Amino acid sequence: MTSPGMVDVTTKGPSMRRNFWRGVWRVMLRKPSRLFGVALLGLFIFMATLGPVLYGRPLPRDPDNFFAPPSLQHPFGTDFQGFDVLALVVIGSRYVLLTALITAIVTIVLGASIGLFAGYRRGRLDAVLMRITDINLTIPGIPILLVLSTVWQFASPWEMGLVLGLLGWGALARAVRSQTLSLRERGFIEAARGLGLSTPHIVVRELLPPIAPYIAMNLLMSMILAVWAQVGLFFLGVMPVIGENWGVMLNRAVFDFGAMTTASRLPYMLAPLLALLLLTVAIVLVVDAMDEIFNPRLREE
Amino acid sequence: MKVTRITATLAAFALALTACGGDDGDDAPGADDNGNGAAEEGDEPEVQRGGAYTTIITGLHATAPPNPYNPDGNSFAGYNSVRLAWVKNHPTSPTEFYPGLASEWEVTDDNLELTVTLHPDATWSDGTPVTADDVVVSSNIAYTRGSGAFILDPGAAGAASDIEVIDDKTVQFTQDPENPTREFVNGIMNMIIVPAHIYGDLLPDDFDELLQAARGEDDAADDAREAISEAGEDVVSFAPEEDISAGPYVLERINPSEALLVRNEHFHNDHLVAPDQVIARNYDGNEQVWDYLQAGELDSSHFVAVPEDVVQQIEARPGNEASRTYSPVVAGLAFNQTYEPFDDINVRRALAYIIDREQMVAVSTPDGGTAATTTSGIHQEVVGEWIGDTVGDLDPYAVDLDRAAEELEAAGLSEENGRWVLPDGDPFSVPIQVPGGFSDWIAAGENIATQLNEFGIDSEIRTSPDFTVYQEEMTNGEYPVGFWLIGLGPSPYNIYQRLYGSSNGWEVLAGRLSYNEPGESGNWKGGPETYDVEGHGEVNPGELAHELRTADEERTHEIMTILAQTTNEHLPVIQMWDYVNTQFSNTDRFITDPPDDARRVTGVTSLAGIWIQQGWVTAVN
Amino acid sequence: MTRRLAGQLVRGLVMVWVVLTFTFVIISIMPGDPVGAAYENLIQQGYSPDQAAAETAMMHRFQPTGNIAEQYLEYMGSLARFDLGQSMYTRVDVGDMLLDAAKWTVIPVLLGTILSFGLGVFIGVYAAIKRSSKLGDALTMSGSLLRGIPDFVVGLILAAIFATLWPVLPRSGAVDILYEPGFNLDYILSLGYHAILPVATYTISAYGGFILAMKSSVVTVLGDDFILAAELRGMKRSIIFRYIARNAILPLFTVFALSVAAVFSGAIFIERIFNYPGLGMLLINSIGRRDITVMAGALLLITIAVIIANIIADMFYSVIDPRIRRAGERV
Repeated sequence: MTSPGMVDVTTKGPSMRRNFWRGVWRVMLRKPSRLFGVALLGLFIFMATLGPVLYGRPLPRDPDNFFAPPSLQHPFGTDFQGFDVLALVVIGSRYVLLTALITAIVTIVLGASIGLFAGYRRGRLDAVLMRITDINLTIPGIPILLVLSTVWQFASPWEMGLVLGLLGWGALARAVRSQTLSLRERGFIEAARGLGLSTPHIVVRELLPPIAPYIAMNLLMSMILAVWAQVGLFFLGVMPVIGENWGVMLNRAVFDFGAMTTASRLPYMLAPLLALLLLTVAIVLVVDAMDEIFNPRLREE
Repeated sequence: MKVTRITATLAAFALALTACGGDDGDDAPGADDNGNGAAEEGDEPEVQRGGAYTTIITGLHATAPPNPYNPDGNSFAGYNSVRLAWVKNHPTSPTEFYPGLASEWEVTDDNLELTVTLHPDATWSDGTPVTADDVVVSSNIAYTRGSGAFILDPGAAGAASDIEVIDDKTVQFTQDPENPTREFVNGIMNMIIVPAHIYGDLLPDDFDELLQAARGEDDAADDAREAISEAGEDVVSFAPEEDISAGPYVLERINPSEALLVRNEHFHNDHLVAPDQVIARNYDGNEQVWDYLQAGELDSSHFVAVPEDVVQQIEARPGNEASRTYSPVVAGLAFNQTYEPFDDINVRRALAYIIDREQMVAVSTPDGGTAATTTSGIHQEVVGEWIGDTVGDLDPYAVDLDRAAEELEAAGLSEENGRWVLPDGDPFSVPIQVPGGFSDWIAAGENIATQLNEFGIDSEIRTSPDFTVYQEEMTNGEYPVGFWLIGLGPSPYNIYQRLYGSSNGWEVLAGRLSYNEPGESGNWKGGPETYDVEGHGEVNPGELAHELRTADEERTHEIMTILAQTTNEHLPVIQMWDYVNTQFSNTDRFITDPPDDARRVTGVTSLAGIWIQQGWVTAVN
Repeated sequence: MTRRLAGQLVRGLVMVWVVLTFTFVIISIMPGDPVGAAYENLIQQGYSPDQAAAETAMMHRFQPTGNIAEQYLEYMGSLARFDLGQSMYTRVDVGDMLLDAAKWTVIPVLLGTILSFGLGVFIGVYAAIKRSSKLGDALTMSGSLLRGIPDFVVGLILAAIFATLWPVLPRSGAVDILYEPGFNLDYILSLGYHAILPVATYTISAYGGFILAMKSSVVTVLGDDFILAAELRGMKRSIIFRYIARNAILPLFTVFALSVAAVFSGAIFIERIFNYPGLGMLLINSIGRRDITVMAGALLLITIAVIIANIIADMFYSVIDPRIRRAGERV
């Protein structure tokens, strides 16, 4: 879909870099919604890193006020034990974002390296890697995860992120490979090979940089998928519905505490849902901005 | 306890109205004039008939056969599956029944002989009469499953229930005088009855000989037992071509979310059966039931956990009403005493003093239970009946944080910077294990953890993905602290079997009681074999509990008193809440008004079928 | 072409084998004792301990025996004979259970994806033509957002609106039992009434992908010389529009097949939210009860469906893209 003609970024020089950031700013200003997206994403990152620190342990609670309606003090009310729902959403963001980040990293590392090497080396290695990629692409991730959860509880974001990453690198690998294939035929790679540079050098120094922005956007997209998958799995209740996590909140709200049955308890469900939506919106807007920054063809239009 | 009782008067009124109008019953009245019989309100009334009665059921499988032995079959007790009788939920007497296919039963004073007479008009839905033959085949099938009073193990209590056909409608059961059990009558009356002309062929022709052989103790007996159990596999997997029922209804059709049952004209008490049809709606999550109730779509529902706000909304809907009755189940927090410091009685007591059970119940199950007033192992509703005034001697373990601190100090723990630490300096932590999907347990566990943390003890809740894992890992001794159901009434043996049975090392093998050391053969509670109990000296609770199977009434009360005190003093579990059986019904289309002791029947979840066949449901016009 | 299909089928079979082996491994290391669970379940329902023990005793006899290798061989062997075994609980053939559940998943999923396809194509063309306008931009953005929003969130929001705040649609069940199944109006209406929310969820959550794909496809076609020539010649707009749509829609069939696969997988969430009795619900329930044969069967069927959708997508792709048709597997 996107073709990275990223010569301006690869040519490293202070003035070029300044130009680049000026370009970024211009793209942002063109659609203020993008600024909003960046701010929102920043807010979530802040929540995930500093949120749990802001609230002390044990969490303050109001034992006489279960399921309080929304108020100034509790914007989304309180939960079944009298904990502030907003606080739970803030604290829950850590698991969600950390998992997403780990998933993204695993996806990038596997997807990009497999794609790069397959595309650059071609031949038998390529064939084998692409068969594995095909299989990875066809795996129905959610059902597999459900079955896997019978033996593995995914208590930490690391475990969850690792598994999601292992299940989800296929699309990136295939895309990176096709980008590599086309770059491979370009002059500068030919030249590098002519100079007798080593394969790792060519891959890391010459091939990776032009593809990097594309990978970065993929990072964000795979974060969306990771958020989606983990929150969904906890929501289903097949995994332990314990812990600080939006999916757990959704599960308890809907299946244990009647958020869908009585409108008065709806805020308990809406809070994590809203967080999920805003996070999605933030990522989509940032990807939209990156798309334009890194894709000059689009910019010209 | 608030019980809605408007319906009683309404129902009586409705009955009076309809009593004059109906066709003359083809039944001999007085079929139940034996002391144990049914329908308390005077002579057999006629009910207002017609309409479709909607209720709930869980685990419906559209593809499963209408076979009552199938663990998930589409054979619903009380509707299209029948027993000789239905076990009343009498608080202290496990052997009281409402009639099913049996209209009369007689037990000899020594509890060794039971004579059952089938209702003279009992007929299968294909027109074949229900006979003694059906009972014989059904009891043979019961042997293949080893259920109730039909156990093949030589020497096991109640093993040799002999059956003798007196006449076409009368059978006599005898239990082995060497090894009698109080469960004998109960086990037989609770037996599922199936038509011999459909199920008879599933058993080997030489079944009687096999049964004789199986009672020996040699190799041939082993082979015979194996052959009998194998026949049981065929029975479980059997898929009858059509539903043949001796109950008030026959299964008409089924889809993945609902089952439709239609009136069985041949049912012997058909004149008592009001609804023409019964719709059983499947639910996979309780939230479905809440929705149905709130919309006023259910004519009755059995107990499911309902959050407080939702209860209010359900009750606010006109026509809906709730009944809250005794439910013989107790939730306890159990300890695995092979883990330190939970082997220390002071620690367990301290925890009992810290946990505010009122708050916990308010958080977790405000409508499904009442906070336990003390730990006795017995539901508070019946504890007085069993142990009399000695209830007052039990420590109530009311919240007392100072006392808790004293107990912890006595156990060698100390407080540092507001957190409690073990003698070796490690923080004292209490992991509370709960199975996933048990919302009341999870919420309760979370609240306990919250309370302990607020007191200064590290505590967190841990879940097992589901009950299967919970069950296995608990038995393997992997959890220091976890929830456990206790006090399963009404049978006194059942009450204490959960505390001083296999989970605590006492196992019944071949009728003999043996003890497994902590950590072995499912002894995960790991308490000592004997306790020193104030005023009773050394007590072996497992032996006492086992004795409850055969003890007479006086001895039963004595044992119950000792065990209650043992439990209270030594706290193998802390009693958390006593369940309340909250059921909902709706009066728009039908008046559903069963007596309290029919609100819970042993081994039956969806009770409307039993209520309907006893005439406790009547249509509103 | 045939070679490509054959290659895909072989790959599909390898995939099935991988999933089967995975399931087998999971099952053999899975903790939890179904008999014990069934026992405690009965206790919860009010059975006495002895009665519950008796009721569940029979289940022990249906537990697998033999060592791991034997079990694996037997498992694979029976699958090769298309024998999926019987449910641990109902003793019903797993194949029958799957067939019964599959119709409740396949039909709504296909219906939802087709609706979504129609909607997405229509709006996608519009968004492409008007891509410089505010409306076109907003439509594209709605596509990006909806593609990012998980299907279960869509489901929950629809449920909150139409079943909680304004309760007009059901949140449970598939069809009213009182209506005789068959081709009669009442029955079909009842089916439709219960399917509205799940189908709407499938439609909304798949639609974002279609808009974006259609838009980019139309943008490519718009660049074709033909369009330029036609415009210069002053051809009728409607004819141009038809040309654009016809040529741009072809790549969408690939997206359609992939969408079906994705929606099929996601149906697990939607069926749970609306308590709709399809394959997803069967999978969740069988996992909860450790009904391992049903669990394995449901996972297998979902995998096969996803693989088939992928193969179809690949076939469309190779038919549409002449480069692939010519070069076979080279690129």
